[in-house]
Order: sequence, then C-alpha cells, then structure tokens
Amino acid sequence: MLRFVALRVGRALLTITLVVTFAFVVLRLSGDPALMIMSPDAPPEALAAFRKAWGLDDPIWLQYLKYFTAILQGELGQSFRDGRPAIQLVAERIPATLQLTLPALALKVGLGIPAGIYAALHRNSAIDRAVMTFAVAGFTVPSFVLGLLLVLVFAVQLGWLPSGGQESWRSVILPVISMGLGGAGILARFTRSAMLEVLGQPYIRTASAKGVPWHQVVRLHALPNAAIPTVTIVGFMVGTLMAGAVVVESVFSWPGVGRLMVVAVSNRDLAVVQCILLLVSATMVTSNLIVDLLYGVLDPRLRGTAPAGGGH
Amino acid sequence: MLTRRAATLLAASTALPRFAIAQADQRPSITIAVQRIANSNTFDNLREASNVGERTAQMFNERLIEIDWRGDLSQKPGLATAWRRTDEKTVEVTLREGVRFHNGDTLTAEDVAARFSPAGMFGDSRPTVDGKTLPHAFSAIVGQGSKELPKEIPPVARRLWPGLDRVEIVDARTVRFHNATPDVTLEGRMAALGSEIVSRRAYGEASTWLEYARKPIGTGPYAIREFKPDTTLQMDAHDDYWGGRPPVKSIRLVEVPEASSRINGLLSGEYHFACDIPPDQIAGIERNRNFEVLGGVIQNHRLTSFDKFHPQLADPRVRLAMAHAVDRQVIVDALWAGRTRVPKGLQWEFFGDMFIADWNTPEYNPARARELLKAAGYKGDPIPYRLLNNYYVNQVPTSQVLVEMWKQVGINVAIEMKESFVQLRDRTLPRGVRDWSSGATLNDPVGSLVSNFGPNGAAQQAREYANDEFSKLCVLLETSADRALRKKAFARMLQIAEREDPAYIMLHQAATFTAKRRDIKWKALPAYQMDFGPGNFAL
Repeated sequence: MLRFVALRVGRALLTITLVVTFAFVVLRLSGDPALMIMSPDAPPEALAAFRKAWGLDDPIWLQYLKYFTAILQGELGQSFRDGRPAIQLVAERIPATLQLTLPALALKVGLGIPAGIYAALHRNSAIDRAVMTFAVAGFTVPSFVLGLLLVLVFAVQLGWLPSGGQESWRSVILPVISMGLGGAGILARFTRSAMLEVLGQPYIRTASAKGVPWHQVVRLHALPNAAIPTVTIVGFMVGTLMAGAVVVESVFSWPGVGRLMVVAVSNRDLAVVQCILLLVSATMVTSNLIVDLLYGVLDPRLRGTAPAGGGH
Repeated sequence: MLTRRAATLLAASTALPRFAIAQADQRPSITIAVQRIANSNTFDNLREASNVGERTAQMFNERLIEIDWRGDLSQKPGLATAWRRTDEKTVEVTLREGVRFHNGDTLTAEDVAARFSPAGMFGDSRPTVDGKTLPHAFSAIVGQGSKELPKEIPPVARRLWPGLDRVEIVDARTVRFHNATPDVTLEGRMAALGSEIVSRRAYGEASTWLEYARKPIGTGPYAIREFKPDTTLQMDAHDDYWGGRPPVKSIRLVEVPEASSRINGLLSGEYHFACDIPPDQIAGIERNRNFEVLGGVIQNHRLTSFDKFHPQLADPRVRLAMAHAVDRQVIVDALWAGRTRVPKGLQWEFFGDMFIADWNTPEYNPARARELLKAAGYKGDPIPYRLLNNYYVNQVPTSQVLVEMWKQVGINVAIEMKESFVQLRDRTLPRGVRDWSSGATLNDPVGSLVSNFGPNGAAQQAREYANDEFSKLCVLLETSADRALRKKAFARMLQIAEREDPAYIMLHQAATFTAKRRDIKWKALPAYQMDFGPGNFAL
C-alpha cells in the first residue's frame, strides 16, 4: 500500500512539474514579454530596464531555474498590470469562484448519482427514459446557453432572481444551476452505465439467490463496485473547481478566477497567468491523486502497482 | 418638573437633526453596468485617454474651463471663474473660491501649477511645437512601485499641451499659463480630457503613481471610495461640492462585458443604467414600458486608420481606393438603424468658424476604387486588419461589412482578432488597418486631426503615419494666431489626410446609447461622459 501511495504522489509531483515547465515554455514562445508589456515602440533603454527588472535578460535556462526555484519558495511573481503579487490577486478571486463551483459540484453529485442509480434500477422504464433524456439534454446544452435561458426566464420575465453580479446569496442560484445541470447529466449517465454493468455480474445473482434483500444487494454489492467510474468523473469535476467557471463567470459578471484569467491572458499578464495555471493544475492533480488513492480503498485488488482505469 | 409640552419639544428638538440626517441619506444609490471601466485600470486621463475614461472622468475630476455639454457646447467656467488673454501666448486664470477637494483641502493656485508641472505631467520634456515626434510607448505596465511619472505620460501631455512652458502662480487664486509659442486654443486645452486638476497634497502623499492614479483626489461631485480593477468602481457623493449637493448618494459602476448581460441586468432591476447598448437592441428594450434608451450621436467619429508603411499600403492610391470602396450610408442604415450619420470628414460643426462646410470625405465609388488599384498595381496581396472584439459598439460587424466591401473592388483584407491595444499597435508583425475613434476634445482641429495624426499624435508616435507637409501644417495650426491662415491650413490637411496621402477612412459619427429605467429623470450628453451632477438626476 505504501508503494502504491508513493508511486501516485510521485506521479502527481511530476505532472505539476511538467505543467509548470509547459507554462514557462508556452508563455515565452508566444512572444517577448517585454515587447508585449512595454510595447514595441518603447525606447530601447526602457525595454532593457524592463528585461533587467524582470530577469528577462538572463539566459533561458537561468530564467527557468529562477522561475522554478521561486515557485518552490511560493514566490509566483508580481502582476505586470496591477503591481501586486500575482498570488494575492488570484487568492482574492478564489472565494468567489468556489462560491459557484462548490454548490455546483454538490448539485452535480446530489442530482446526478441518485438519478443514475434510480434509472439503472428501473431500466427501460418510462422514468429511466425520462432521466436519460434530461441527462443528454443537460450535458449537450452549453452552460452559457443554459445560463442565458435561465436569466431570461427567472430574472427578466419572472423577476425572481438576479441576472448577475455577486450581491446576495440569490445571485448564486442561476450560475450554479447553469454549471450543475450539465455535470449532473454526465454523472447520471456514467452512474447508470456502471450500475447496469455491475447488476449483470454473477455475484449480484448469487447474492439475490442467497436471499439477501434487494436493497442490501444494491447497497452492499452493487454500489461499491459501480463507484469506480463514478469516482473518476467526480474527481475530474473536483479538479475543475478553480477554472471550471470561465464562461459562466463572464455570462453572470461574476468576479472569480475565470474572469481574472481572461483579463490576464488578454493583457499578457504572465505572472497571473502562470499562477492560475499552477493553481488549476495543482487542483486537478490533487483531485486525481485522491481518486487514485480512493481506488485502492474501494477495490483492494488495485493496491498493487498497476494503475486503475488509467488515463483519467 | 418636566411638563408634557416641554418633553414633546425636547423630543422634537433632539429628533430633528436625526431626521435631517435621515433625509440626507434618502438620496438613491445607483448601479451602472458598463462594458469596461478603464482600459489601463487607472483614472489619470493622460494615461486613460480613452472613450471609457471619458465616461467617468468628470464624476470625480474637473477642469478649469468646462464644455457646456447640457447646452450649446460653448466654454463655461469650471474651476476657473474667469480667464483673459494677456497676449497670444498667455492666459490669466482666476480660480473659483471655496472649492474643496475630496480630502477637504481648498483648491489653490498651487494645485493648478503642480498639475501642469514637470512632476505632474511633463517630465523632462520641453515644449514641442517644432514638428518633432516624441517617442511614445503605449504600455500595459503603469507606474508601479515608484513615484516616477510613467514614461508614456509626458508624450501624451505634450500632445495636449505642446507649447506650454510653465504655469505661474500670481496669487492664491490667480495663475498665468505661459506658452512658448502663440496658441489660440489654450482655453480649449484647459477644457480638454487630460487637463483635470487634482489635489497637490494627495498626489504628493501617494506612495506610488499607481496609488494616486487609482484614486485621484479631485473636486468633482463624487469621490472614489473603492476601485476593484476590472470589476467595480464605487463612488460616494462629495457633499462639499461647490456646484451643489450631488443628487445621488453613491454610484457603483459594474464591469459587465457582455451586452446581453447588461441588458438583462437592467430589465431584471439590478442596474439602473446599462451603457454601450447596440442599436439593434433598442427596440427590444423599449418594448418594456418601464425602460427607455437615451443617447445618439456624440462629438466623436469612428475611423479605420492605416499603417501607411505596410508594403501593400505604401501607395496612397491603394488607401484612397479603400476609402472609395466603403458605402458608409449602408453601414449607418444597416448596423445603426439610421441613428447616426456620415460626417464631413474629421471635423464637427462644434469647430465654429474652423468648420470646412464644403469638405466631403471620399465618396462611395467602386469604379474609381478599381481604377486606383489598377493604377497602383495592386495584385491582391493580403492586408492585415487588426480588430478588437467590439470595443467600439458594432465594431466587429462593421469590420466584416468593410472586408466584404473591399473584396467587391478586389482588395484582400484579412481580419486578425486582437485582445488589447498593445497587441493592436505591435510593430513586430506587419500592421495594415485598425479601428480607431477620434473625439473633439476641444473645439478646434488641434484636438482631433492634429492630436491623432500630427507629429505627436498617437499615429505618428506609433509610426503608423508620417507626412512632412501635414506635420508642418500641424505646427502652423498649433502656433498661428491668424484664423484665416489656420482655416486654410486645416482645409489642406483634410485634403492630405483623407485623399492625397490617406491616414484613415472616415466611417461615421460615433453614437452611444444608454438604457435606463424610465422613472429616472436623467439626460444623456452628446459625449461618452455621463453627467450625474446637480440638476441632471431625479428619481
């Protein structure tokens, strides 16, 4: 088990290192930061001063080394545009984003998994078909389209809820529904498929044949075995908590990490972009690590070295 | 012993001040949804010399002389009560008494002199009415960690005040503007965006230039309380305002980039005003009787400007052909529902006797365009068209129409979407065409044609345009007091910039539309500026 955990933690750290390196390379490849920030019309001495101030006149390997060392020390640079530490700018926006993404995650899990289980247990019934129709509709309609529709109905026509902003708890409802319904649809479909596969297994028939009550068969034998693909999807959704609301934040004028990222990319605010990338990758890798460890808990056979499911 | 009557009187007397305070607090607080609060996330209009900067500038700042936007656009007293010419180079200004800054300080001549000083705007630049261009870098980085004036400020300040030598303090309420050369437009420059007066003490006490520029301490009817970059700008009424008690308790600007979200927020009651409304949305909003859309043409023209040094544009006949290929009236009718108009070149009637009434911008003439292209030997090589995503209302659809119109006469223009003005002006890759607007910052061509395309205009500073004769005429316009000669020079400049060696294509007069609740009594100005001063708001 220790080897299982160590291998996955090592892999997670390697992934973060690769993402950080990738961010460094891509942001440098997309042009000279000095020209992008200072403009090509800046006097040569101003460009030189800017490069010196930000270490851009060092050889590229030294820039990378300094960049990596700084990250290890928690120093993520200063926003070119704002003058404050990038981490501070990003940290200010995280609560706003989590205000949307955490309830949306709860909605996805709370609605999607029970709906999937229910549909599987009532396979081919009218309810199954209705649940699957809503599930397909949920994840095929883009969140911004759903968001605009919800605003038109509940904000503009009925006047029940605000159309955007961050003024009260009521402002959260429409963006959360916009983000949550699609994810709930995905989870419902995955959960239903996993449950159907498990329900067809010999051990389910055996348990039933032994006279175990059906609700116990489902609770003790079907659900734990169907959990692995569902946990994988939930893990992916947890990984998008930080950056999963870019479009919805724009539609609902929500001042979160997503909008900050759009503005930072538009203005080539490298430190902020790098900081957000690091945050997003760390969240994604951490959630994947937790999912990997959960595999070991859910299925003792996976505590060996072979990765479970792979590729998630 | 306290009688019942005495007790009642006592209670009434103690309640009165509280009642008065409660009355004071009954002013409404309003929320305004805007596409963008500030391009540079600062509020010094030498840095934020933009349409969005113009919208907020006079909520918190004021100038010595103002434009009567509610009236006939003439000059009227602002922070100055009187001004007089002592000679062609000098104007003496008498300051208004009892004007309070947001920090409680009283306006004095020292505040004015400090604003128009090397530390306030000019840096180490000298008066530049010699046709030379000061290098200018439009940068995304501004005055961080230092009190030093950002390097882009002096060139912009010299664009506005090319010949200003110094401001002399005569006494606490009198200053004298000394120009290095004759300038008939000094009064107009005092009324232009960028000439706002800020508190000398507050400027000095700010730890960095950025700190000052994020919360300038001015004298306007509202004081900035908090600015969250790219998100909100919160202002409170400045109750010591010399012009009377501001009618709104607090104003909150919210940045809502999507037009549909601004409109939805207005209709659902979150916003009192929604700005930058596309014309095709006006009828839909007004179908609801509780809302109306105000606005119309403003003192600003939409242009498409050239980098004349692009290989395909080096021949002026290609640029003129592009101008002849544009059917402006189609754009006005189709995209603006006829709510704006095609102007007589880069000028406004507001110029008074400098307006060239018989001038017309190149007419729609595709046959002439094809002839010019043939004569220039244009072979259909692509010309890049850098474009921002609807920074100007209808910008993207207009550009798509333009590209099709150019295609009709055989000009191959390729749109390249960009995200910021820095990218728009990037010279490391070929530049061809880009969108722009030109505002009449003062009632003379020096505030538009010279300011945009002259030696220290943004086009020449960014090395997009140059023309020796044009630049010499700019100098004449800036230094001559001979009005007939100036008008003749201006006519010749229009001929050069719009026909002989085109610097831009005139598209249409800009228009701006603001949607609001119908029960709010408020009038839009013929400008981007929004006026919430005394007398222009009631709810």
